[in-house]
Amino acid sequence: MRILNLIGGAALATAVLCSWSGCRKHAEAAKTDPLWASYDSEADWTDSTKVTPLGYQQAQGKRVFYQYCVSCHADATPAGPSNRSNLTPVPPLLNDGGTLNTESDEFLQNIVTLGGSAMGKSAMMPPYGCTLSAEEIRSVIAFTRAIAQPPYQPPGRPGSQYSAK
Amino acid sequence: MPAEEMGKVTDRMRFVFAVSSLIFLAVLAISPFKDYRREWKQYKRSYLRFAQGRPDTKRLTADYSPNIDQIWLPGMNVVDRCTTCHLGITQASLVDKSVPQPFRAHPPIPHNVREWGCTICHRGQGPATEVAEAHESTLAWEQPALPIHFLQASCGTCHQSELAQTPQLARGRKILAELNCQGCHKLQGIERPAMLGPDLSSIGTKVSREWIYKWLKEPRTIVDKDGNVTVNGYETEEEPRMPKFRLSETELRALTAYLSAQKAKPLAPYKISPAVVAAWSKNPELISQGELRFRQMFCSTCHSLAVTRAGETKLIGGDIGPELTKVGSKVNPDWLVGWLRDPEAYLPHTRMPRYGWSDEDLYKVTQYISAKLVDSDLLSNVPKLDPPTDAEVQLGRRLFTEKGCASCHLMEGLNPQKDFGPDLSALGAKNASELEFGVAKIPHNLLSYIQAKLQDPVSVNPAARMPQYNWEPGDLDAVTTALLSMKGAPPTSALQNLVVPRKEVTFHPTGSFAEVYERYKCYTCHKFNGYGGDLAPDLTYEGSRAQRQWLMEFLKSPQTLRPTLILRMPQLNMSDKDAATLADYLSMVMQHPAVNPTTTDTKQFTPVMATLGKQLYEVKYQCQSCHTIGGTGGYVGPNLNNAGGWLTPAWIEAWLKNPQALVPDSIEPRRNFTDEEIKALTAYLMTLRAAIKPQKTAALAGTHAMGQGAGR
Repeated sequence: MRILNLIGGAALATAVLCSWSGCRKHAEAAKTDPLWASYDSEADWTDSTKVTPLGYQQAQGKRVFYQYCVSCHADATPAGPSNRSNLTPVPPLLNDGGTLNTESDEFLQNIVTLGGSAMGKSAMMPPYGCTLSAEEIRSVIAFTRAIAQPPYQPPGRPGSQYSAK
Repeated sequence: MPAEEMGKVTDRMRFVFAVSSLIFLAVLAISPFKDYRREWKQYKRSYLRFAQGRPDTKRLTADYSPNIDQIWLPGMNVVDRCTTCHLGITQASLVDKSVPQPFRAHPPIPHNVREWGCTICHRGQGPATEVAEAHESTLAWEQPALPIHFLQASCGTCHQSELAQTPQLARGRKILAELNCQGCHKLQGIERPAMLGPDLSSIGTKVSREWIYKWLKEPRTIVDKDGNVTVNGYETEEEPRMPKFRLSETELRALTAYLSAQKAKPLAPYKISPAVVAAWSKNPELISQGELRFRQMFCSTCHSLAVTRAGETKLIGGDIGPELTKVGSKVNPDWLVGWLRDPEAYLPHTRMPRYGWSDEDLYKVTQYISAKLVDSDLLSNVPKLDPPTDAEVQLGRRLFTEKGCASCHLMEGLNPQKDFGPDLSALGAKNASELEFGVAKIPHNLLSYIQAKLQDPVSVNPAARMPQYNWEPGDLDAVTTALLSMKGAPPTSALQNLVVPRKEVTFHPTGSFAEVYERYKCYTCHKFNGYGGDLAPDLTYEGSRAQRQWLMEFLKSPQTLRPTLILRMPQLNMSDKDAATLADYLSMVMQHPAVNPTTTDTKQFTPVMATLGKQLYEVKYQCQSCHTIGGTGGYVGPNLNNAGGWLTPAWIEAWLKNPQALVPDSIEPRRNFTDEEIKALTAYLMTLRAAIKPQKTAALAGTHAMGQGAGR
């Protein structure tokens, strides 16, 4: 009987030890995850510990965003201060899900391609249709959707696998 | 057995026959069953079931065949059976992430999957028909599929020129070049420049033996317990170019002895005029005046200084030249004076311009550096070093070659070492069996090997000579990507033809311009016909863009056109003659073929056109969202306060028609202006004039604080 107890105790201890070391390993791995500082992921704009992995199209969108859009649609730019505060009306942040989630992909594609005035918005948003390809603009929209806060829910087709996970 | 019973079938025999037939049948059935259960056939059936549940079943199954599918591209040596299981690869409706693999569509990329196959980019074994064989490394096939995170390596195998779409690869190549990896290794597409590390032929006249000791032991980089990289104790994003070598105390002493004895080509001593010294040495404002000049000349465009703000210490400034926070405790003051006057005399390949110094400026700035940019604790951990002995110098000389120092550093009397480390120009094509893993407990594949070797060279080879680098995780992956992309010469001629080579550009001006261009090292920051740095605007078409008079004034007193820039054109104290030489050459030679400054006559612009242009600018197109005129407007484009005094009308017209035709990576959107609108906008912009503020000369500078921002 005593031997059985002993074995049981040892097993329990091992299990606890394993799970504990497992947890610890996980926490360490999370800190130095190489994906974090790279092109195919984006840290949440308000909480840098949350990181969104990006697919191919979204990563291309990130690249285009940080070249063409970042100066007005973000509060900080890698190169210096943001231009956002100079503009009236103040342009939405790219991760502003409250504003952008309600707009369709088609509307966003149009406003980037044709500019704000063509879509009944501020003329301060210039048209990028002659500068960026339709594919590049699509990728920026995919990036917008990926980083939106609150998260973007695509308009699902009822009963099909198209709806969001 | 009796003869009469022969040929007679007994019940026992019947039974044996029946059982063996059954067994035989079962054995025969195994083969079709196994064939039916094959991995790829299961995926095929599963795809059919999957397609049934989709609204566009008909389109999804149009090309379906129950057999093995393959893409065969004989010229490229490609036989890819991947599409046998990856059935939805070209189905646009399956691109969503919720579609399970292996049926998800390939994201839209510039190449057509059917024309290129899969393994050209993803690697792995194309002809395989089992999941493990296709994706993982096996005994017969040692090149596993590349993890998606490193996939840009495959883009780089053919695209040796820079691609906008592959930021990770571009960063990796940039780091490899910046860290001078090509000093010891042969790298595909990265040339060995004339100067890697500084020429050490006269290092003994510049720094002390104690400082060399400290530098070799901890080349600025200190990794603290949290794994942060610090420079002189300050956290930084920049990795110092000098890596950390594993040196014993004896080796440190020998190398410092050898180096501190190097005085082959000393700088000619320069004596600052005694009148200047007498006038300033007792002046309490000497140091603050020196600091002012240091800032006004915009040394920080290339050099950084550590600044502490709100308890956080950061390096502020550029990274073209070394960080200077403690340089006063490093260099010999006499050397500093000589260096600032004529950097090329000490380092023939330097990128530092030869400023026009007055004795007064030179005295003030050097006094500021020696008094303020110091740290008395810098050498506190260095043991007492006696004058070098002959034996130490001899050993140091040997070590200098053995440790590979001569691969990056020039030394009088020593031949530069080439190919000190292994050739890495085909590293990305290496099989795992060609690599030495030593005792390292890592997966035996190329990717793990590269990362282990980069992080800790001795982990895979205890005798490694490679120094220790500290990598940010993103940079480690970027460098790995760049190394994986180097696969040597393509194996087939069809692939050879696909390579987009890197364009080697040079710019060799001649005559008096060349002399001034070399003196001020314009190419350190500016590009000329594709050659030069990328810190400052490309000057290839500057002659079409800017008016000659503006160029003259700008060169003599650079004003920033972009209010948010912290790195600005240095105040080079140019003489009128030098400024005129540069302005003349730029306006005569650096012309865009499609922009002819003489064709647009400013006289054609009427006030009515200008008024219309102002309305277009302010109301219809709202250019003020990015450009500043007067006090209002955005920070994205250059300010246009002096557009009429700066730009040529022909350039403005061409620019408004198509900015990317003139500067391909400009972010100014191209718009569909009508010709009338272009004329009107040009007329308006040409009316904008603002006097360039008079140059603050050294004499004037004393009374004003810095912060002379451009614009108003």
